Amino acid sequence: MRTPLISTLALAAAAFTLPALAQTKPAWCAADKPVKFAGITWESGQFYTELARFFVENGFGCKTEIVPGSTAVTETALVSNDLQVWMEQWGGRTDIIRKGKEAGKVDLVGSLLKDGTVEGWYVPEYVVKGDAKRNIKAVAPDLKSVADLPKYKDLFKDDEDPSKGRFLNCPTGWDCEKNNNQKMKAYKLNATYTNFKPGTGGALDATIASAVERGRPILFYYWSPAGLMGKYKFVQLQEPAFNEACWKTIFGSTTDEACGSATPSTNLSVGVSTPFKKDAPEVIKFLSALQMSGDQLNPIIAEMGEKKTPAADMAKKFVANNKAIWSTWVPASMVAQIEAKAK
Amino acid sequence: MDTSVFLKISFADALNAWIESIVVNYGDFLHEVSAFLLQTLLVPIEKFLIAAPPVAVLAFIGVVAWFGLRRVGLTVAFVASLYFIGCLGLWEKTMQTLAIMLVSIILCLIAGLPIGILMARHRWLSRVLTPVLDVMQTFPMFVYMLPAVMLFSIGKVPAVIATLIYSLPPLIRLTELGIRQVDAEVREAATSFGASTWQILLWVQLPLARPSIMAGINQTTMMALAMVVVASMIGARGLGEDILHGLTNLDFGKGAHAGVAVVILAIVIDRISQSYGLTARQRAALSKKGG
Repeated sequence: MRTPLISTLALAAAAFTLPALAQTKPAWCAADKPVKFAGITWESGQFYTELARFFVENGFGCKTEIVPGSTAVTETALVSNDLQVWMEQWGGRTDIIRKGKEAGKVDLVGSLLKDGTVEGWYVPEYVVKGDAKRNIKAVAPDLKSVADLPKYKDLFKDDEDPSKGRFLNCPTGWDCEKNNNQKMKAYKLNATYTNFKPGTGGALDATIASAVERGRPILFYYWSPAGLMGKYKFVQLQEPAFNEACWKTIFGSTTDEACGSATPSTNLSVGVSTPFKKDAPEVIKFLSALQMSGDQLNPIIAEMGEKKTPAADMAKKFVANNKAIWSTWVPASMVAQIEAKAK
Repeated sequence: MDTSVFLKISFADALNAWIESIVVNYGDFLHEVSAFLLQTLLVPIEKFLIAAPPVAVLAFIGVVAWFGLRRVGLTVAFVASLYFIGCLGLWEKTMQTLAIMLVSIILCLIAGLPIGILMARHRWLSRVLTPVLDVMQTFPMFVYMLPAVMLFSIGKVPAVIATLIYSLPPLIRLTELGIRQVDAEVREAATSFGASTWQILLWVQLPLARPSIMAGINQTTMMALAMVVVASMIGARGLGEDILHGLTNLDFGKGAHAGVAVVILAIVIDRISQSYGLTARQRAALSKKGG
C-alpha cells in the first residue's frame, strides 16, 4: 500500500543497507539459510534455475546455491530438504517425487510452460521435405507416422546390425526410455529396428547434431522445450492419439501387450521442499506465477546452446529485456529493484 | 573497468568451429570407418563371446588361469566367481564388456609395443612423446568424448577410442622401461656373437623385458575395465549400462550387481595376466608357497 515514491526510496535504501530488506525477506533467508537449487543439466532446466535464482537473490535477498547431481540424487535430496528447489519437474512422474509428495515432504507448484511439453519421435525436416539450400533431396517424402517406419528401416540403418534400422532412444534410465521401450512393442518395431540407448543426454544431442550437420537421415526421440528444437527443424512422426487405457500399458508398465498412444503433454512444475514452502511463502508465490510460452523459451535455449552463453547470463538478459513478462510474477514493489539489478 | 592482470585468452570458439567443419567435411568418411570397425572387429567378437556356451568360456578361463597360476584353489575360485556373475543374470552384459575390452587391448598392443620399442631406442622420441602420454592419461575424457561421438557415431567405436587413449600410455611406458633395463652387457654379448638388430630385439630384449611388458598389459587391461561406466555414457552396451541405470534411478541394488561383476572381472583378469608376467624363478617361489 505504499506510494511509488516511498517504495523507490525504500529500495534505494535497501541497495545500501541490507538489513532494510529484512522485512521483505522470507523467514527462511532471514535465518541465514541459503536456498539450494538442484543443478539440472538440460538447457531449459538450467535457464529456469538461473532465472529463479536471479529473482530469489536480487528480489527476495536470499543467498542461493546450485548443487549438481543426477536427477535421482537431487530429487532424493529435495525430499529430505537438503535441497529446497528443483526447477522444471516434468509432472512429478518419478517415484521419488511421487512418494515424497504422498509423505508430505515435497510439493509441486506452478506451471512453467504455458502449453505444456511435447514428446515424441522425430526425424530432421530434410528427410521428409528435402533442403534445396543444402542440396539435400527428400529421401522419405511419405514418412508421416510411426506406422510407416518398417518401410524405411534401410534409411535409418543401424551400423552395428545393418539388417535393421536404428531408433535412437532417450538416455538410459530416464522415464522416456522406458516409455519408448513400450512404444517399440506397441508399434511392433522390435523386428525391424534396434532400440539404441545413447547413455546420456549429451551423447544423444551430439549424435543428432552430427547427423543434421552432415544432412543424414536419423530417427530419434526428442522433446520440447529444448535447445535443439530451437536450433534445427524436426518433423514429429504421428502416433496414435493419446488414449488413457493404452497409456497405462506404456507408462510404468513392462507388459508385452502394449498398445500405442502419444505421450500426453506434461505440466512443468517446480518441486519445493515442504519446510522451505512453509518458511518462504513469498518465494513460493513467485515460483507459482513464473510462466513462459514455448515460443518465448525455445529461442532462448537455442541461443544458449549455439553461442554457448552461460544460463546465468541468459537469465539476466531475459530479465533486462522482458519486463512486461516477468513483472506479473513478482509483487509490484519489487519491479524497480529487479530492473535495477538486471542492468 | 577490467583491471585483471590476466590477458583474455580463449580458444573455445575456434575449436568448436574446427570440430564442426571436420564433422561436415569428413564426418561421413569417419562414420564409414567406424561402421567398418564395428562390422569387422567389434560385432563379430561380441557375437562370438555371446554365442559361445558359458561353460566353454568358463572352462577356457579355467585352463588359462591354471597355466598362469599353477594353483588349483585360485583357479577354482576364479571360475566360481565368474560363474557367480552369470548367476546375477549379467553374463551377456559381461561378454559385451569383455568384447570392448579385448578389442581395446588388441589395438593397444598393435600400437603400444612398437611405440614403446622405438622410444627405448631413440631418446629424442621418448622426450617428445612422454608429455603426450601424460596428456593422454590425465585429460578429462568427458571433454573429448562428445566430439568423438560426433565424429565416429555413437556406441562402441568412440568407446574403444576413449579406452585406447586412456589405457595405452602405461603399456608404452612399461615396454620402453623394460627394454631399456635389459643389461647393456647382455646386448653386447649378443652382438659379439653376430646377432643382427632384429635378432637382438626378438630373442634378447623382448624376452628379457617380458615381465615389464606383461605388467604394462596388465595395467592397460585394468584401465580399460575402469572405462566401462564411462563408455556406457556414449551408448556402449555392457555392464556400464546397468551402473548408469542404477545411477540415474537411484537403484543401488542394480548398480551394485554390475559393480560386483566389474570387480570380479578385474580381479580375475589382473591375477591371471600378472601371473604370465612372472619369471620362471618367481613362479617357482609362488607355487612352493602352496595353494
